Amino acid sequence: MQTVPAQSASIARRQSLEKTDRNAGYRMLLPAAIVIAAVTLFPIVYSIFMSLNNISLTTNGFTEQFVGLANYGILVKSGEFWHSVWFTVYYAVVTVLVELVLGMLIALAINNVERLKNVSLVIMLIPWSLITVVSAQMWDYIYNGVYGVLNYLLQALHVIGAPVTWLGSPTSAVIAMMVADIWKTTPFVVIILLSGLQMISQEYYEAAYIDGANRWQTFWNVTFPLLRGSIALAGLFRILQAFGVFDLPFVLTSGGPGTATESLAMLGEQVLFGRLHFGTGSAIAVSTVILVLAVCLVFLSAFKSMVKGETA
Amino acid sequence: MIQTKTQRVIGYVVLILFLVAIILPFYWMVVTSFKPNTDITAYPPSLVPKHWTLIHYATAFGHFSFGMYIRNSVIVAVSTTFFVLLFASMAGFAIARLPIRAKTPMLIALLIISVFPPIAVITPLYMLLRTIGWLNSYQALIVPYTAFNLPFAIWILRNYFLQVPGALFEAAKIDGATVFQTFYRIFVPLTKPGLFAAAVFTFVAAWTEFFMALVFNSANQMRTIPVGIALFSGQFNVPYGEIFAGSVISIVPIVILVVIFRKWIVSGLTSGAVKG
Repeated sequence: MQTVPAQSASIARRQSLEKTDRNAGYRMLLPAAIVIAAVTLFPIVYSIFMSLNNISLTTNGFTEQFVGLANYGILVKSGEFWHSVWFTVYYAVVTVLVELVLGMLIALAINNVERLKNVSLVIMLIPWSLITVVSAQMWDYIYNGVYGVLNYLLQALHVIGAPVTWLGSPTSAVIAMMVADIWKTTPFVVIILLSGLQMISQEYYEAAYIDGANRWQTFWNVTFPLLRGSIALAGLFRILQAFGVFDLPFVLTSGGPGTATESLAMLGEQVLFGRLHFGTGSAIAVSTVILVLAVCLVFLSAFKSMVKGETA
Repeated sequence: MIQTKTQRVIGYVVLILFLVAIILPFYWMVVTSFKPNTDITAYPPSLVPKHWTLIHYATAFGHFSFGMYIRNSVIVAVSTTFFVLLFASMAGFAIARLPIRAKTPMLIALLIISVFPPIAVITPLYMLLRTIGWLNSYQALIVPYTAFNLPFAIWILRNYFLQVPGALFEAAKIDGATVFQTFYRIFVPLTKPGLFAAAVFTFVAAWTEFFMALVFNSANQMRTIPVGIALFSGQFNVPYGEIFAGSVISIVPIVILVVIFRKWIVSGLTSGAVKG
């Protein structure tokens, strides 16, 4: 008879200890929760509210007038908006695809390299940690139509006859911007894929070898499925960044020539802080968020089914 | 993989070509920062400088007040890193080790928040900062940067805290330590690599951020390095010499961090996300 009360007492004691721990946990979460809520959750909700209002900046501050979906109506009818949506999607898809394919080829090639590991890691991490504005200025100088070194090198190799103003025509400006992005972020993709490759156990490759698989079969049935986590990670990181692209066109092309390289974030900044249309600008911001979330979902589900289809 | 000699040779060739492709634009920026103006705009360009000068470094600091931008960037990036480490280590520990409720929704919410593009929050934040008179101040950048870097840091640190054996937590409790003592006496010292990784990610993000810095701190004396470099402008020509002098200086602290912490950066990246 003695054990029962003792047991229930110890259960009660354990529960109260757990409660103490839980409360301590909430207290430790509190500072992070407050900062995140104040700077991200509140503004996102407020952005949605603003996008449904006509907002004007007066000497007394901001005044709102509810207009329903009128701001979205303006966007739907705006050619400039659709152009920036199209450009942002096109830019993000092309750069991320090129970076993933290029990054995969490079990572596979250098996976067996034994030397130069430390120095190449440092060299690959530097573009990742470089201020985008700095790399944009650097490429701006390289692409210069009058004294740019790219023209000089291409002329020396007889690829072009006369100097080209790379940032002067829409097509070449878009490509130039993509090259600058690919230069800066491919090393990051290589690092993630390489560390993924190095986590794959040698036994799988030995088994594939014994089964008589050729290189292509080995890659497609062993490496690729085991690397899908790393590919999804690198791809998601990059897509999200690419959809918010702002620094690079701001410095390199100012969105031009014309509006050829005007991304959603550039257009949003223009409408918000250049034209001071806070309502319409917020509608652009909200649309960007919806687009980003949709693309994430599509990317993740496409990736899952693709991998499943291959292994089935 | 079962390797052949050919494979290894291909590996070295690709690696070296890749490293050269990364380095060449850098090389061009660095040598340009040491060229006199007449050589910077000469065509054909001299691939190796004929004359060397430090004039652009002097002008960047003198005429363009680059020292001020460096001071602003250091204050903002160091403070952000401090607050992120402080808050994220506590939150990461709570999620990893304490019996709090709704952990999974919390982690998913963190992931979603960390992917939001800054354009989504920039206007309400601008209006808020304007209303409370915080535009053109250090806190106008430190607070948002802290918030935006917390989710990823919490993820990384949670994973590192999970790797510390749970028995240590129980043992400390039996010895009569409070939860908080267990956290900072036992768990924090054991997760230094995670803290270093989170610190480098946060510092780099704060050092390179441009959009919010441009919108919130546009006054010249409050600009950070990215805004300063983006808005460097001459009367007639783009002052490439000064721009690149400033750029070269802005890379130095980052290179030091990368050289020291390279292993932890990579393990932080992979553990922070793949295992999550």
